[in-house]
Amino acid sequence: MIYEQPRFLPGGDRFLTIEFGDELNLELNFRAQGLAKLIAEHQVKGIVEAAPFFATILIHYDPDLISFEDLKREMAALIGTLTTLDDVELDSRLIYFPAVYLDPWSAEAIDQYIEKINPNKKRDPEFVAELNGLEDAAQMVRVHSGTEYWVAALGFWPGTPFMMPLDPRCRLFAPKYNPPRTFTYKGTIGMGGGSTAIYPVDGPGGYQIFARTPVPIWDMSQKMEPFREAPHLLRPTDRLKFVHCSLEEFEAIERKCAEGTYQINAVGYQKISLKRYRAWAESLDRTARF
Amino acid sequence: MLEVIKPGLETSIQDWPGRYGYLNCGYPWSGPMDSWSFRLANVLVGNAPGDAALECQFIGPTLKFQRNTIIALTGADMQAKLDGEPVPLWQSIAVNAGQTLAMGSARLGARGYLAIAGGIRNEVFFGSRATFNKGGLGGMEGHALKAGQVVPVGEGQGRAGLKVKEAARPVIVTDKRWQVEVVAGPNDDWIDAAGHERFLATDWKLSSKSDRGGFRLEGPEWTFTERAYHKLPEHGSDPANIVDHGYPVGAINLAGQTPIILVSDGPSGGGFINPYTVPQCAFWKLGQSKPGEVYRFQVISVTEAQQRARDMAARCTPDSLE
Repeated sequence: MIYEQPRFLPGGDRFLTIEFGDELNLELNFRAQGLAKLIAEHQVKGIVEAAPFFATILIHYDPDLISFEDLKREMAALIGTLTTLDDVELDSRLIYFPAVYLDPWSAEAIDQYIEKINPNKKRDPEFVAELNGLEDAAQMVRVHSGTEYWVAALGFWPGTPFMMPLDPRCRLFAPKYNPPRTFTYKGTIGMGGGSTAIYPVDGPGGYQIFARTPVPIWDMSQKMEPFREAPHLLRPTDRLKFVHCSLEEFEAIERKCAEGTYQINAVGYQKISLKRYRAWAESLDRTARF
Repeated sequence: MLEVIKPGLETSIQDWPGRYGYLNCGYPWSGPMDSWSFRLANVLVGNAPGDAALECQFIGPTLKFQRNTIIALTGADMQAKLDGEPVPLWQSIAVNAGQTLAMGSARLGARGYLAIAGGIRNEVFFGSRATFNKGGLGGMEGHALKAGQVVPVGEGQGRAGLKVKEAARPVIVTDKRWQVEVVAGPNDDWIDAAGHERFLATDWKLSSKSDRGGFRLEGPEWTFTERAYHKLPEHGSDPANIVDHGYPVGAINLAGQTPIILVSDGPSGGGFINPYTVPQCAFWKLGQSKPGEVYRFQVISVTEAQQRARDMAARCTPDSLE
């Protein structure tokens, strides 16, 4: 739901969390992104940084410059000016990510987990399909890759996107691994709760996994042009589209990325309007699947 | 310049407060785990409290000085010796070119700090010299020190023979039991009354599976309010799951049933609740505790925590020297 009044929650002596609601919903993320933008524009005294997430924003403040009570009051006043979200348009790059669905690397990580940690774990693609009432893994792939993903936040690891599907017909849900997986390849695509993410580096993980992209989202070598300014590629309000590719293409693209010669396919002229999005989403049959 | 003979267990360049300003891109602050000892080490050698210095974890490094300078050691007692002679903590010391400082394992406390007059002058990455070792950024070549590296140091104005007054030093406990202040929230309303009571009445043991990213705690099960069970599927299926949100530094993050205190190199966001947060005034205690030691948590208010942070900062100045 979207709360009538946002909730203000303390985090120790220098954080304030503002919770606008408790669901995955573009409008909630627009509020969080919109407030972050207003904070930057107004240069609110005492705010060091602000990190919007799906339905919340985490504000880091300096208590020597602003008290917790004053900060809450100032934020409530700023949020008051956000009521006309309908007219807000946010710049949104569309970035195409080649991806192999039902890939051998995710399969290997799943095998390892079943063998060493939990012999009863159902394989992720089939498990996600079953939980969401889909026919099989193939339909899960169609549904998962049938939408653009909205980068609602970056976090957990530098540059790691937390994404939600924009097409309501492609919403999927999945629990996280318990206990977590000890290994996942970098570039693996997976989901947990309602959010989709790409693993930035090799490492442990908790999302259900079923695809992999050869294009990095985190690259300390900074060879490719979009990485020159920072080792992370994505920004909140970007959109991602996964494009099916073959194993041969995956390997060729991976090589080019390592050389620094791959052209990342990013389209930069579009804006997202909440009003237009909402009108479109409401016109759809939400029970439909691909 | 400082030559690394032996790197120690994980010795890293840190500055304080670290890499502020990039939480929205997911970069941790990094910075010292015990900023109280860290700042005093800098103040002793005439640096600004936040200048870059070394954090030595559990087993300290062996370093050779390439020119005469002033140094200070604070925090954990790592039995440091300069050319074989014991070096006192909490004092500024003159060292000569060619001398070797050898640090051992931490006897009392867990992290020792070494500041050098002029401060360390490694490359600045996103506004800070602090090392995020797992992420491979900041510090020397992105990581903790390695043998054979030469660490650049600035020109300083330090003076030997200064001491930190006893009353201005953090007190590292000798009985392995720490009283750690916490502030309730942001997600305290997900835990039921019995859960809160249990949290505050338990001796939580620091697990050996702890590092600069997270401190795992061992203790009893948690119990939850209705909110943790009756929620939309995007929260995830575990009672401790919440729609992914930003994590405050110092948050006590409940990963299923395992509380993990998110520390200097911790994740900036994720899908678990944070019922309590360790404020700055108690954060240094985490930095000085060893696996196996015990925490008892005590709730204080936001304003009380802020006042204590001010009291701590007031001690990290030249007024504390004699």
